[in-house]
Amino acid sequence: MSLDPSASTFSEEQLAAYIIEATREVFSTMVMMDPKDDYPLKDPVRRFQCSITGMVGFAGTYSGVISIHCPVALALKITSNMLGMECDEVNEDLNDAIGEIANMLGGSVKQVLSKGGLDVKLSIPTVIAGEDYTVNSLSASDCVVIPFHVEDDKFIVGLTLTKED
Amino acid sequence: MANILIVDDSSTMRKIISRSLRQAGLPVDEIFEAGDGIEGLSVIASGKTIGLILSDINMPNMDGLEFIKQVRANGNTVPVVMITTEGGEEIIKEAMSNGASDSIKKPFTPDQLQEKLGKLI
Repeated sequence: MSLDPSASTFSEEQLAAYIIEATREVFSTMVMMDPKDDYPLKDPVRRFQCSITGMVGFAGTYSGVISIHCPVALALKITSNMLGMECDEVNEDLNDAIGEIANMLGGSVKQVLSKGGLDVKLSIPTVIAGEDYTVNSLSASDCVVIPFHVEDDKFIVGLTLTKED
Repeated sequence: MANILIVDDSSTMRKIISRSLRQAGLPVDEIFEAGDGIEGLSVIASGKTIGLILSDINMPNMDGLEFIKQVRANGNTVPVVMITTEGGEEIIKEAMSNGASDSIKKPFTPDQLQEKLGKLI
């Protein structure tokens, strides 16, 4: 782990590097996929079509949300790989798998934010899926958005973060 | 051979852990599943012989820290290993002081399960 958990704030480059490391670790270990990261986006993506979004919130010394957004077609492949069985429809398994990926990403980021683990709490994952939806953050938190690709499929991992006073 | 109880609110993770236990070649007999600490206590109370419990920490209704406290309060000495995204030192310390035997960080590989659980089953 390359970041210093005792640092009061993290630069966007540091957070981006950690998101990339955490995402690649989760995917290579639990999904048997090897995603490649692309250049970070300057602005968050808010509108999604035929997609699924998994989110986990942080509260405590730091507050924010880590989220993974991916097209349903890729989410079906991810779920099939995780479960070791074919998954070809949007169902509870799909929601659970994407929620669990968000949970593992949240756990990895939490470890950077809180060495001890008690001053930052993780929420239970939330999953949204639909043909056309928007996700908006109402806070003025810093935002890091990393696009990834796996073969021809693309997905996004985003992190909004605020250090509480 | 041992019966295993997996306590995790993610059905995906319960399936992954079950599969990984088999892949790791551990001497596993029957695998029971529970979606939170309350369900986990019910499985134990049903009288099933459990040789090892694998429990998440961050769960709704009853989290893993309270679950292990309740297990030990009932006088049960079965080994409990936390399998969790929560890798913070203080949380793991709290789990160990509540009676956990060890912890495994998610994501994990079958080899890591084998290494940690082989000595407990």
